[in-house]
Amino acid sequence: MAVYKVSFVVIGSDYPGAIVNRDHAPYLGERITLGGHQFEVIEVLNLMPPRGEFHYIHATVKLSKPPRKKK
Amino acid sequence: MSLIDILRKVELFNGLGDSELRDVEGLCVERRLHRGEIITTQGKHEDELFIVTQGFIEIILGEAKAEPRKIVVNLGEGQIIGEMSLVDQGPRSATARAAVEATTVQAISCRDFEVLCERNAHIGYMVMRNIASDLSFKLRHRNLSEGGR
Repeated sequence: MAVYKVSFVVIGSDYPGAIVNRDHAPYLGERITLGGHQFEVIEVLNLMPPRGEFHYIHATVKLSKPPRKKK
Repeated sequence: MSLIDILRKVELFNGLGDSELRDVEGLCVERRLHRGEIITTQGKHEDELFIVTQGFIEIILGEAKAEPRKIVVNLGEGQIIGEMSLVDQGPRSATARAAVEATTVQAISCRDFEVLCERNAHIGYMVMRNIASDLSFKLRHRNLSEGGR
């Protein structure tokens, strides 16, 4: 039962990022949805050494679909 | 999934055995939140610790100052809110509100949790160590967020 605690840092968007537990590590090119926006993972690194079943990961993501402009 | 299985995946309880997790389970009260519902207010003295089990909680700074409000991070499944009060008994450092509909948290009274930690030193040690790790993780996240903008 590995738990991946992931720090998602967003570039190119006002979305403030997120910290969330997942059952798998993020990977380059992965599409994820946060706060209704779709992002693409562009960087993954270990933030801290693992302890027990917990892994501490940082992922940088960029907007993969720009939000629709309001008319 | 049972509450014990959920708690097992929360870093705050990393290293606790099944009987210890059952003691923690006995302190949990589930709260379902509507989008925008506030669970902590910056500057106030409040007694609860929250564990996000579904959805996201926005962490907002600026409520207590004459600065514009700013959402600094969204905390999702498995994350804890209000842990600083457990350590320093100080006022809330930020406002926390549900970012999406049907966000669910488990609320634990800090006073009751302290009693449990004092009664069982192993729980107390593991929880304090895990809080330190969580604060370190959040600080590293903040550093990367500030540096990337």
